[in-house]
Amino acid sequence: MHIPDGFVSPSICITGYAITGGLTWYSLQQIKKDSNPQKKIPRASLFTAAFFVASLIHIPIPPASIHLVLNGMMGAILGYYSFLAILIGLFFQTVMFQHGGLSTLGINAVIMGIPALFAYHIFRINNQSQTRKKIWTQVLAFCAGTGALLLSATLFTVIIITNITSELDAQAEINAIYLSLISYVIQAIIEGIFTVMLISFLEQVKPEILKQ
Amino acid sequence: MTNQQNLKYLAFFLLFSSLGFSRQVFAHGANIVYQYKQAIEVKATYDDGTPMSKAQVVIYAPDNPAIPWQKGTTDEEGKFSFIPSSDVSGNWDIKIRQSGHGDIISIPWQTDQPTSVVESQENISNLADSTYTPMQKIVMAASGVWGFVGTALFFSRQKSPS
Repeated sequence: MHIPDGFVSPSICITGYAITGGLTWYSLQQIKKDSNPQKKIPRASLFTAAFFVASLIHIPIPPASIHLVLNGMMGAILGYYSFLAILIGLFFQTVMFQHGGLSTLGINAVIMGIPALFAYHIFRINNQSQTRKKIWTQVLAFCAGTGALLLSATLFTVIIITNITSELDAQAEINAIYLSLISYVIQAIIEGIFTVMLISFLEQVKPEILKQ
Repeated sequence: MTNQQNLKYLAFFLLFSSLGFSRQVFAHGANIVYQYKQAIEVKATYDDGTPMSKAQVVIYAPDNPAIPWQKGTTDEEGKFSFIPSSDVSGNWDIKIRQSGHGDIISIPWQTDQPTSVVESQENISNLADSTYTPMQKIVMAASGVWGFVGTALFFSRQKSPS
C-alpha cells in the first residue's frame, strides 16, 4: 500500500505533503491539550516500532502475500499520536527499505494516517457511552481495525486509478488493482481480529491505557 | 492509334507485368540473417520473492526520458528482456508496475566500449545493490526497532528528585 517514487504526479506529491503538514500541526495541537503530553510518547514509540517492522513480515494469503499495516490499531490506542507515529514509521521504512518513496511520503502518510484518526474517533464512542460492555468494546475495536484498513485501501486505489499515466495499459492496471482488493479485504479482517485481541488483552491487563 | 503506338503500350505492359511477375517469383525465397546482440534482462519480484508476473514494463531511452521507448509485460517468472539501441548510451530507465506496486530502475549502458564480461557483471551488481540479504534486513530492522525502544525507554525514565 506504499506508493513508490515516480508513480504519481508532482502535484499529488505536493498536495500529499500539504495535507500531511496540516494534519501534523493539528495532531500536535491536540496533543498539547493533554495534561502531560510526554506521558504517551513511550507507548507511541513502541507502536511506531511495531508499524515499522510489520511491513517487513509477509503473510502469504492467496492470491497475494500481505503485510500488516496496523494503522487502525494504532489509531484506537494512540489517538492523535498515531498520525505522527505513522509518519515517522513511514519515513524509516522509506529510507531503510525503500518501501514507498521520499517524494510520496506525504501522500502515503495521508493514505495510512487519516484512517488511523478515523479509527480513533470510532473507538472513542466506547469511552463516551456510560455503560461499557465488553462485547461493545470488541465490536468497536474490530470496526476500528477493519475500517481503517479498508479506508486506506480505498484511498490507495482511488489515487492509483486516477493517476495511471498514459504510457500504461490502463485497463490491465485497473484489473490488477481490483484483483488486489480481494487480499485487502482479507487483510482488513485479520487486522480487525488483531485489534480486538490486543484491546481485549489491554483491557484486562492495563485498562487505563484505553481511556483517552 | 497507330500500330507503333500500340506496340509501345504493349512493350510497357509486358515490361511491368514481367517485373511484377518476377517479384512474385522471387518473393518465395526467404532470407534470414542473424546477429549477436547484447540484451538487458530485468527480473521483478515482490519483497517476499514472488515474481511479478504479467506486470507492465515501460522502457525509457537515455536520449528521451519523457516518451516511452518500448512497452511490454513480464513473463510468468517476472522477467523481461530488451535490446537497447546500439547508438544510444547512458542510463536506460525501466519502470515495472502492477496494481500500484512496482519500481523504477536505471541501468547504465555504454555503446562505445567493447562489450566485456566485467561490464555485464557491473550491471548485475548495480541491480543487486537495490536489494538486501535477509540477514542485512534483520539487522537493519533490529537497529530501527532498538531506536524506537530506546526512545520509549528515554521518555519513560524515572525522574530523579532534584
